[in-house]
Amino acid sequence: MKVNENLIREICEYMGSDLNSAPCKLIREHMEACHNCEVYVNKIKKTIEIYRYADRQEELPDSVSKKLFACLHLDDLTKNCNP
Amino acid sequence: MENNPSEELLVARAKEGDHAALSQLVVNYSSRIYHLGLRLSGSRQDAEDILQETFLIMVKKIGQFQGKSSFYTWLYRIAVNVGLHKLKSKPRKYDHISIDDPDFERISSEAASEWPKFDYDVVNDRRFRQKLDRLIEKLPEKYRTVFILRDLHELSTEDTSRILQITPSNAKIRLMRARNFLKEHLENMIKAEVST
Repeated sequence: MKVNENLIREICEYMGSDLNSAPCKLIREHMEACHNCEVYVNKIKKTIEIYRYADRQEELPDSVSKKLFACLHLDDLTKNCNP
Repeated sequence: MENNPSEELLVARAKEGDHAALSQLVVNYSSRIYHLGLRLSGSRQDAEDILQETFLIMVKKIGQFQGKSSFYTWLYRIAVNVGLHKLKSKPRKYDHISIDDPDFERISSEAASEWPKFDYDVVNDRRFRQKLDRLIEKLPEKYRTVFILRDLHELSTEDTSRILQITPSNAKIRLMRARNFLKEHLENMIKAEVST
């Protein structure tokens, strides 16, 4: 079975290992024969993407930012961005 | 996340009490710390408190920052400590649940099926987002914090383990369990969403 190189790279990055490390070589060998693992890893990736997407929908409210600068007695630099 | 030279200058100026530099650091990190607080606590009010307290400590203690770690690692550590301390002072929202390792034997032996096609617009639905929030809040803090730092804030294993003062191996194990827990439950949520 053809190994999905991008997937292997991502798994290794998730593991904090480089592509040529021993654990990554073992994963590559295993995934050459195991479609289920590919499906499993894709689901994990999707889970992370969904949570990242959800987080992007939630912005720091302006009112909270203003209160923060006031409480720190600092000038609100974001004011310069939104004249 | 990487250290950049301009940030080192900014931190050096902030340490000398330069208000513009302090303000810039707040601008650079306030959104990230707010999101961290939101995911840790599950409450906007608590996230706001965590945000304020974190930066109050930063302003007060930046003179003591010695640069042994990167600035953001130092700041995240303050925020996580503030957040976890806040959680301890509140009753748990959910009962303790046990988090297991993924059953790799089952994964490799059962017929695997991809998730049904998922429309990201569903995540914009308030009801679905609340379900996502409740799901992550069910994770015990020690797993949730690793998932938030590694997967949502994209910190490295090394930085995550430094911030949480655990070993990198421990961070990896916690991350694997957290991801597996969320995946299993999200799978059911998505199937239910698609079938309705």
